[in-house]
Amino acid sequence: MNRHVSPENIQTMPTRLPAPMGSLINRQQPITFQFEGTNYHGVEGDTLASALIANGRYLLSRSFKYHRPRGPLTMAGQDANTLVQLPDEPNVLADTHPLSQGLAVTGQNYSGSLDHDSDMKLGKFSKFMPVGFYYRSFYKPKGAWKFWESLIRKKAGLGRYDLNATGSYHDKAYLFADVVVVGSGPAGLKAALTAAEGGAKVLLVEQQSQLGGALTYARFDDAGVRAGQVREALIPAVEAHVNIHVLCKATCNGWFTDNFLPVIQGTRMYKVRAQECIVAAGAFDQPAIFRNNDLPGVMLASAAQRLIRHYAVRPGKRAVVLTGNDDGYLAALDLHEQGIEVAALVDMRAGPVDTRLTQTINQHGIPLHVEHTVFEALHDKTLHHVTGVDVRRITRRGEVADDSLTLECDLLCMAAGYMPMYQLLCQAGGKLTYNDDVAEFSLSNLPKHLYVAGSVNGLHDLDQVLQDGVIAGTQALHSLDLPATEAAPLVGAPKQVNFPWPIFAHPKGKEFVDFDEDLQIRDIINATRHGYRDVQLVKRFSTVGMGPSQGRHSALPTARLVADATGRTVSETGVTTARPPFTAETLSHLAGRSFDPFRVTPLHQRHLQLGAKMMPAGDWQRPAFYPSATSGHLDRDRCMQEEAIHVREKVGLIDVSTLGGIEVRGPDAAEFVNRIYTFGFLKQPVGRTRYAAMANEQGVVVDDGVSCRLGENHFYVTATTSGLARVYQSMLQWNAQWRLDVDIANVTSAYAAVNVAGPLSRKVLEKVCTEVDLSPEAFPYLELREGKAGEAPARLLRVGFVGELGYELHVPSRYGEYLWDLLMKAGEEFGIRPFGVEAQRLLRLEKGHVIIGQDTDGMSHPSEIGMSWAVNRKKPFFVGRRAVDILDEQPAKRRLVGFRLPATSAKPLEGHLVLEGSDITGNVTSCEYSPSQDAIIGLAYAGADKATPGSHITIRVEGGDEVNAEVVKLPFYDANNSRQEM
Amino acid sequence: MATLEDTLTTKRTPLYHLHQANQPNATGWQHLGGYAIKAGQDETQVEPTTVAPACGLTDLSALARVGLRGKKAATILSEKHYQLPAAPNQALRQEDGSLVAKLSASEYLLLGSFADDGERISRDELAWQAAERAHRLPDAYLLPRQDTHAWLALTGSHASDVMAKLCGVDLSPKAFAPGHVAQTSVARANAIIINASQADLSCLYLLVDSASACYFWPILLDAMQEFEGKELNIMALRHHHPA
Repeated sequence: MNRHVSPENIQTMPTRLPAPMGSLINRQQPITFQFEGTNYHGVEGDTLASALIANGRYLLSRSFKYHRPRGPLTMAGQDANTLVQLPDEPNVLADTHPLSQGLAVTGQNYSGSLDHDSDMKLGKFSKFMPVGFYYRSFYKPKGAWKFWESLIRKKAGLGRYDLNATGSYHDKAYLFADVVVVGSGPAGLKAALTAAEGGAKVLLVEQQSQLGGALTYARFDDAGVRAGQVREALIPAVEAHVNIHVLCKATCNGWFTDNFLPVIQGTRMYKVRAQECIVAAGAFDQPAIFRNNDLPGVMLASAAQRLIRHYAVRPGKRAVVLTGNDDGYLAALDLHEQGIEVAALVDMRAGPVDTRLTQTINQHGIPLHVEHTVFEALHDKTLHHVTGVDVRRITRRGEVADDSLTLECDLLCMAAGYMPMYQLLCQAGGKLTYNDDVAEFSLSNLPKHLYVAGSVNGLHDLDQVLQDGVIAGTQALHSLDLPATEAAPLVGAPKQVNFPWPIFAHPKGKEFVDFDEDLQIRDIINATRHGYRDVQLVKRFSTVGMGPSQGRHSALPTARLVADATGRTVSETGVTTARPPFTAETLSHLAGRSFDPFRVTPLHQRHLQLGAKMMPAGDWQRPAFYPSATSGHLDRDRCMQEEAIHVREKVGLIDVSTLGGIEVRGPDAAEFVNRIYTFGFLKQPVGRTRYAAMANEQGVVVDDGVSCRLGENHFYVTATTSGLARVYQSMLQWNAQWRLDVDIANVTSAYAAVNVAGPLSRKVLEKVCTEVDLSPEAFPYLELREGKAGEAPARLLRVGFVGELGYELHVPSRYGEYLWDLLMKAGEEFGIRPFGVEAQRLLRLEKGHVIIGQDTDGMSHPSEIGMSWAVNRKKPFFVGRRAVDILDEQPAKRRLVGFRLPATSAKPLEGHLVLEGSDITGNVTSCEYSPSQDAIIGLAYAGADKATPGSHITIRVEGGDEVNAEVVKLPFYDANNSRQEM
Repeated sequence: MATLEDTLTTKRTPLYHLHQANQPNATGWQHLGGYAIKAGQDETQVEPTTVAPACGLTDLSALARVGLRGKKAATILSEKHYQLPAAPNQALRQEDGSLVAKLSASEYLLLGSFADDGERISRDELAWQAAERAHRLPDAYLLPRQDTHAWLALTGSHASDVMAKLCGVDLSPKAFAPGHVAQTSVARANAIIINASQADLSCLYLLVDSASACYFWPILLDAMQEFEGKELNIMALRHHHPA
């Protein structure tokens, strides 16, 4: 949330450079904002950093370790120097965060104020805090870390997270393209156009808010006209092309196998799938390494050019440009053209490759110092801004003469070379090889369908870059089997842009290799002296490259320093592994909009209307219990007991639509069911139901249900609510091997099912199923009938899960609600009431029925759970038969037993342990107070020797107390089954 | 137009309550295939532009549909004069406007036509059910798609953009042309997707588990929001399916 910016104390509107500078800003739309309590003016299109620099404010942050003042380095979101705090978000990059009206921003990671940070004194002790010092300092004496940890943690981390912040809507979307082009610089634009013109569907991903890459800020010729010409030729063509989909302000944050690319744009993560991928992401401008190269006002030459061309901001008044390539000359010309005095152009080389540039520089009166370097950036006491430079002649690699030339300046631009944007390519398996001739890394070993173009491919001459884009686009077209004219090969050798050793150690240090982690030259060298020769170990020991900029500017100098210190080549040293993500991404991007599928039965609305307490069962929603008939409250135990008693005494109905339903049809249907389930089904009569338990190949009981034989070749089998998917999958898998002539169809959602149970259930059904003879003689227990319930076609099953006279009615789901209403109305005179899953579980427990998955685990075989009766030993095969036989021959270790405790006893909970002395012999699987028994009853695994009724088992209950339960014979209720078979 | 009370029958579509909650007391209900459906305006008075926005979602669950599979399925369907797609995962619109999708080498899904309110499919299903009971449907098995699946239609030029937020399959017209079928995952649940576009209207049919219909409906509406998508009644869509 933005705080209001008061009109007082607003700085005057800063002046901007005249158009056409400022391609991203709208000068007509002023914006006021606040930074560190001071009000400032900016304009629409500004970033926080550009607006602050326009106001003369360079100090934006404090460094991580020594709290040194820091200002923008890249103006492209590639460094940690601009991390600031928004009211509800820490670590926001000020050089990319768009300015908005009233935005209130502060610095972070300081004590006192951003301008006066008392923690800056830590820098004075930097000699005593060498790299890795805390690994070796705070662990002795034993226990010391406990003391130091809290102090260190207090100082660690950047910014503050607002714990009251509310999340915003984030989502994900797939994007499909024939060709994805990452980066819209000259190579990317040309590659995209080439591929699109060949008929490919192209997705062009650009991290910045406008197309063009370096064409939008860099200068490519001494006259300064080439970039504009190329922009005008390419960008409108790309934007107008029907085959090109442009995504700006979008970051390709990783590369995954087969060109699966996460691209983040705003609050959305696109999951891009592309057949061909062209990475034309460019190269990172590199800093030079010298003392105080981190001061505000010291920035990359490209950062100054971005400020000028994107935001019309004058980056300084008097500049020095330090360069190792011709681009520094062009940057100096840019500065000069915009009225910035260039105090000196300092070239580390003997002179430019393009010798005409010397003449141009001289014509503009810019003093040129070749074979010189900036040895130190100068500052006042505060270190708030660069005030000058100490320029020295280079005598040998990394060494300078004693003679010093001091120049005053408030801007120091660096152009020491480039590092290809290798991250995505290395994630794809690309290999970096250092070429000593050009002092630059190049990439090889890329997988098929992945191409590179432009400066990431080591090309820096604009014509070569453009042609490289054509070549990559053509390669993609060839791979897509689309027509393409053969691309002309590159002409000429690559231009050298990297100065081989832009690293100048100073006796007083503070030459920063890694700005994020405040690592100096000696820190990297010391790491190698500690024996960490491998660059990966150097990284872990020193933390180089582990900060927010992820080695974009430190990888190259680190590789050079480690190679030098260990007597190896830079190729041998290499750089550290690049892993996704390329830039920081939020958890909300990764989470996106979550999808949590759920299922409801056709009767769901009725349960809600009755006020049921719903509960999840697998991915279904089921009624756990309904409001108490006496109190109207939703009290679980009370409602459950009332509902159970009502079923025992009168009649209740429960929605069992969630039970899995599988049709098995065909000539081999009986054979199939007989092989899948443990019981015998070949001789199951038509019109009969039969209990069906399913074992896996290990002999473990994995599901159960009821097999209904509707015809000679037609079975309808049920499965448990949560086991259906597994059962169905298993059936398909087995029949893929058996090849029986059978059709297996999951029809779970096709049927609504209701169980009507209780002594009065027959009376209710007689009013509903008028065409079916429901008398006990005509429709006995375990029989099934097909008929009608009112107008609805119905399958009627006489089953007894709850131990009372009961019928299960299955009707097409379209009639589900009709059936429910019909039963409720018909049962009105008999006091019919719905009951929920909790009451059903209690009722079946009283009847001693096992719930697979609750009373069984991954080891339970039929004998253990008292289900040997459900295993047919005469048939030659069923799934798990061999394992069941083997297990039965082993001495029994445990048994599922019924136990009873007095009603007043502490009630064991599911999972409570069964003990024998100090040994655990089992656990409680089900336990409830039974109103019909007026006792606590349950099922538990116990040692086999305790399975005999009359034995006692010890159960450890809540609080560690132990209760002594009596093992009893199952069932607890209606042992002779007279009630369910009435 | 009739009231809900007038039209209510013994049958419910999976999304009946959701529609009923949105239009509880108003008129604008009518019968379709024995179900009460939210009909909306009189189709003859509706301007085509208002019924074909860039993105619309319609519940077609009241229209008939059935599945048939097995070795003889193709023969049985051909005998009933259905034109069959040549290969699995293809759909073919019939002359009467109904649609036959081939889901595997021997499995077909039949979707009813607006032209006869699904009457032909319903009639054939009843005949096949009777034949099945009388064991006169050997090597062919009926699948109760009317009850297992809800039938939704996502229409308009943004249909594939909406689906890109929910499904990993490229459903853009270039990759997923009219008559293509995908059996895949949508928003982490199973779905059959059919490109049922006609000349003047892009249309994706989604056949989803009827028990999950209440999950899918708001998910789709949410995904449609950025395209200004809206819920359409069945009559509005019928306007664009003259067959």
